[in-house]
Amino acid sequence: MQFKELDPILHSQLRLAIMSLLISVKEAEFTFLKEKTNATSGNLSVQISKLKEAGYIEIIKQFNNNYPQTICKITTKGIEAFENYVKALQSYMTL
Amino acid sequence: MENTEGIMTEKESLELIASMINKAKNRVSENGTLYLLWGWLILICCIVQFVGLYFFNYADSYYIWFSTWIFLILQFFYIKKQNRNFRVKTYTGEINGFVWLAFFIGMVLVIFTSIHFKYYEIIYPLILVMYGIPTFLSGIILKFMPLIIGGICCWVFSFLSSFFTSEYQLLCIAAAVISAWIIPGYLLKANFKKEN
Repeated sequence: MQFKELDPILHSQLRLAIMSLLISVKEAEFTFLKEKTNATSGNLSVQISKLKEAGYIEIIKQFNNNYPQTICKITTKGIEAFENYVKALQSYMTL
Repeated sequence: MENTEGIMTEKESLELIASMINKAKNRVSENGTLYLLWGWLILICCIVQFVGLYFFNYADSYYIWFSTWIFLILQFFYIKKQNRNFRVKTYTGEINGFVWLAFFIGMVLVIFTSIHFKYYEIIYPLILVMYGIPTFLSGIILKFMPLIIGGICCWVFSFLSSFFTSEYQLLCIAAAVISAWIIPGYLLKANFKKEN
């Protein structure tokens, strides 16, 4: 039996947490992700950028009452990658 | 969560996914404000019209219902503000919004058609049928039993109101909004305060 390789972008604690949150909602603000993951702003920003570079999430930057707002949304590519990651995990678990 | 690159076992990965999905899912997003706003408004309109008709024989007391248009405008600004200040948008919230939009369009058409064909005596029972649909569906979407019961109450009061004259039908609407919007509204508000 061949092992499915785990996606290195997703096989990281914080990035996986971000993707798991975003797969459950339509879109979420940066502060929501920060609160739910208990990550620092700097670390969260870095990991979000990595997910964006991989094309897994979309980032929308806008202003709300003169305050910057960052909105994150999972992409179709991100959903596929997440599903493949879970399938790969399941294949390891069933062994 | 500082360990971003640390090695996770497969089990830890699955546990993390499950816990994050639960954190997003368990969020109480409905604060009950609109249920309370509309619940109290409709209740006041019903009572004012009933008092006008029953005690003063004042046929024009139905003018009180025009106040709903003012609240509709207020609601538009409230929703706009809420959408601007959102932290998370869920699929259930979006579907729920469309359910209420469909209700609003349906209500306008039902009232227009009933008045157009002069079927005045069926307006209130039909309004109660309409109230029941989004309330029941919102209860199912939000998995909130008081709204499901509230929706059923609207249909029961719609059935009962068919046997009464229009003055007493107003009391049926009043009882329906208490059970469908006011009580669930306060329960949603309490839940929201507890969770947030």
